[in-house]
Amino acid sequence: MTRVNCGRRGSVSRWLMPAGCVLFGCVLLLAGWLGHQLVTGLIGLVIMACFGLFVALAGRSETVRGLRGDGRDERFAQIDLRATAATGLVLIVAVIVAFLVEIARGHDGSPYTWLGALAGIAYVAAVAFLRWRG
Amino acid sequence: MKNLVRALRIEKGLAQGELAEAMGVSRQTINSIENERYTPSLPLALALARYFGTSVEEMFDDQG
Repeated sequence: MTRVNCGRRGSVSRWLMPAGCVLFGCVLLLAGWLGHQLVTGLIGLVIMACFGLFVALAGRSETVRGLRGDGRDERFAQIDLRATAATGLVLIVAVIVAFLVEIARGHDGSPYTWLGALAGIAYVAAVAFLRWRG
Repeated sequence: MKNLVRALRIEKGLAQGELAEAMGVSRQTINSIENERYTPSLPLALALARYFGTSVEEMFDDQG
């Protein structure tokens, strides 16, 4: 039987996201420890580890497998791209609203000014790069 | 996009999962193509057409 592979990633990435969650949890713990907020860091680690464990051990639903990385194919890559774009849009709108609120309160808009500028620059740079790459 | 994937798959006596396995995609992707919710990439469309011994033009109808 002919077997092709249309964008499906192998099972090597099955543990990548759960491991990434635990790693990020450890970074949160380290940051909390450095900032004398050990409890906050511990809570962050526990939340991230629980999420990683859930993603690692959850069933074979397409959403979970897509999040985990195994069982992804071209359709899920498209879903991932759209979800990422939607997330970015929500974040940018939130930054703009927060910036306007800060200005209205008589503040200078920090740190939302820089976050908004970063988002704008990143978008223009990405468009230019992707257009150049063809 | 209207297509003949379901008809050709049934004609060949395949389950969605078997076709998905052969194409290297998920069963849900085959289901989405059959239900016209997802338009496959050119490589997948070509692979499907080759698999069923037909052409992309015969298999997919972008006018419908």
